[in-house]
Amino acid sequence: MIQSLILSTLMFGAMFSVLTVSLNLQYARGGMINFGTVAYFAAGAYAYAIFTQEPPSGLDQYAFGFDMPWWAGFLAAGAAAMLFALITGWPTLRLRGEYLALTTFAFAEVFHSILLNERRIGNGSVGMANVERPDPAAIGLGDTLGYTLAACALMLLTAWLFHRLLASPYGRLVDATRDDEIAAESVGKDTARVRLQIFVISAIPIGFAGALYAMITTLVAPALFSAEVTFFVWIALALGGERTILGAILGTMALVFFQELVRVIPFETVRGAQIAASAEEVITGILFILVLRWQPWDRLSRKAGS
Amino acid sequence: MTDTILKLDGVVKEFAGFRAVGGPEGLSFGVRRGGFLGLIGPNGAGKSTTFNLISGVMPPTRGSVTLDGAEISQLSTAGTAALGLGRTFQTPRAFGSLSIIDNVMVGLAHPEEGPLAAMLGRWKPAERQFLGRAEAALERVGLAGRRHDSVSNLSGGELRMLEVARQLVREPRILLLDEPTAGVDPALQGKLSEILAGLHAAGTTLIVVEHNLGFLMSLADSVVVLQNGALLAEGTPDDIRRDPAVIAAYLGADHEA
Ligand SMILES: Nc1ncnc2c1ncn2[C@@H]1O[C@H](COP(=O)(O)OP(=O)(O)OP(=O)(O)O)[C@@H](O)[C@H]1O
Ligand SMILES: [Mg+2]
Repeated sequence: MIQSLILSTLMFGAMFSVLTVSLNLQYARGGMINFGTVAYFAAGAYAYAIFTQEPPSGLDQYAFGFDMPWWAGFLAAGAAAMLFALITGWPTLRLRGEYLALTTFAFAEVFHSILLNERRIGNGSVGMANVERPDPAAIGLGDTLGYTLAACALMLLTAWLFHRLLASPYGRLVDATRDDEIAAESVGKDTARVRLQIFVISAIPIGFAGALYAMITTLVAPALFSAEVTFFVWIALALGGERTILGAILGTMALVFFQELVRVIPFETVRGAQIAASAEEVITGILFILVLRWQPWDRLSRKAGS
Repeated sequence: MTDTILKLDGVVKEFAGFRAVGGPEGLSFGVRRGGFLGLIGPNGAGKSTTFNLISGVMPPTRGSVTLDGAEISQLSTAGTAALGLGRTFQTPRAFGSLSIIDNVMVGLAHPEEGPLAAMLGRWKPAERQFLGRAEAALERVGLAGRRHDSVSNLSGGELRMLEVARQLVREPRILLLDEPTAGVDPALQGKLSEILAGLHAAGTTLIVVEHNLGFLMSLADSVVVLQNGALLAEGTPDDIRRDPAVIAAYLGADHEA
């Protein structure tokens, strides 16, 4: 049981870390609040499913299934999230702070509603089940272990690339753009382009994570991609301290561990399980409030600094 | 015929109906290539707004601004900067999360500044050479010893010099400075005066807004005086010092001509 707890924490923790690490880039470095995170995740998952699913037959209502290999679906997921970021980022990135947050949130809600009501995309509320996926047994690994390793690899690759991205003149330009756009413009920097680049670059791994999520659950359905996912990754980011890539990962791992812990408790009654599930949400909320109120990471870093 | 690099023609800027720049018939004046123009006038005369209109921080309500004959009044700040225009701000601007040397490095047009170059690590060779240029600029403004310091530890005058350094590394063709000596101690003012004289000698066109007339009049070769957004007088520093209208409006009756 302990082993399965650790594995599932690592698997979902690493997968959601891809989202928090990307948000960390958008928010902590780019200065953009994206409250529509789940939409890019869903775009990736749906693109993966549509590219790998067999053409529709029988009761299927979806219009496209390209029956392609998993890696083609995986690439399509990254491309879909990137495209969606371009489409949503282009008109909205002029907005600042809370306005951007509201607009991205609205975009995600619209996207969710389209997935739900336009059945030709992915069977509407039913979603697409039995999503194709590579079998880890092909390289001698168990299912869970295989996908845990895949999630960890995606997380580490994302973190490494973003670290390289920021430890460079480009990173300096990103920081300058966030700190003072007019000053950056006055030395000839195209700050609108920088903001769009960061928005789009950070969406790509979120799309890949969406594909991985579709492989793990073998199901894509609107219910899996509600605004709760966005709130979840924002809470994880706040828990870990939004400043560093490592903090984003640790915060996500801690939050996922906590949720998985509640899940493995063997409950005698349905009532007990319900109470535990509610308690989990309440405790998550309280944790969030406490972190925001006391800002322990700021205090720690100030202490380390002085 | 003099060679004009920058030309304002009938420029007007209104904020919610209030005409900050332009006066009754719009603001028009030219700046000689390689010239050193002093832009003076009482508080609220429209000097900083004029800088904003030239550098693309905001577009004029009407009128034209041309740089080397090309219309620039609708360009963005980045657009005018790309044409070789540099400027500082009356309230100094700095990148708070960057070190002092990085604040200057941002001023350079790094050839490998894109995201792809960053991920591939292609930026490193050029960075070393650029670092040398940024350090030289800091040396010139007297901040060399502070290069790894945080911006929040700089005084107001030092922030101003940092902003000058960020523009210096870019080697702009035309540089606009908004009250560069405000809050800067006499020693640093001397340094600044040397820097400006050096730029002038090297052929850079300079436009400097300044209330410190002792500083400005010794450097400028021509002066434009604004009042209520309109041109009050234009001429050499000596002409301006003797101009009765300028004395009445700005210099004060007890001004030593
Ligand atoms: N963004 C703005 N919105 C509204 N009014 C403005 C704006 N910028 C400037 N003004 C007004 O335009 C007028 C000219 O301001 P400006 O800053 O250009 O003056 P200035 O000559 O630089 O004065 P100072 O010597 O005090 O710096 C002022 O009355 C000011 O209040
Ligand atoms: Mg001013």
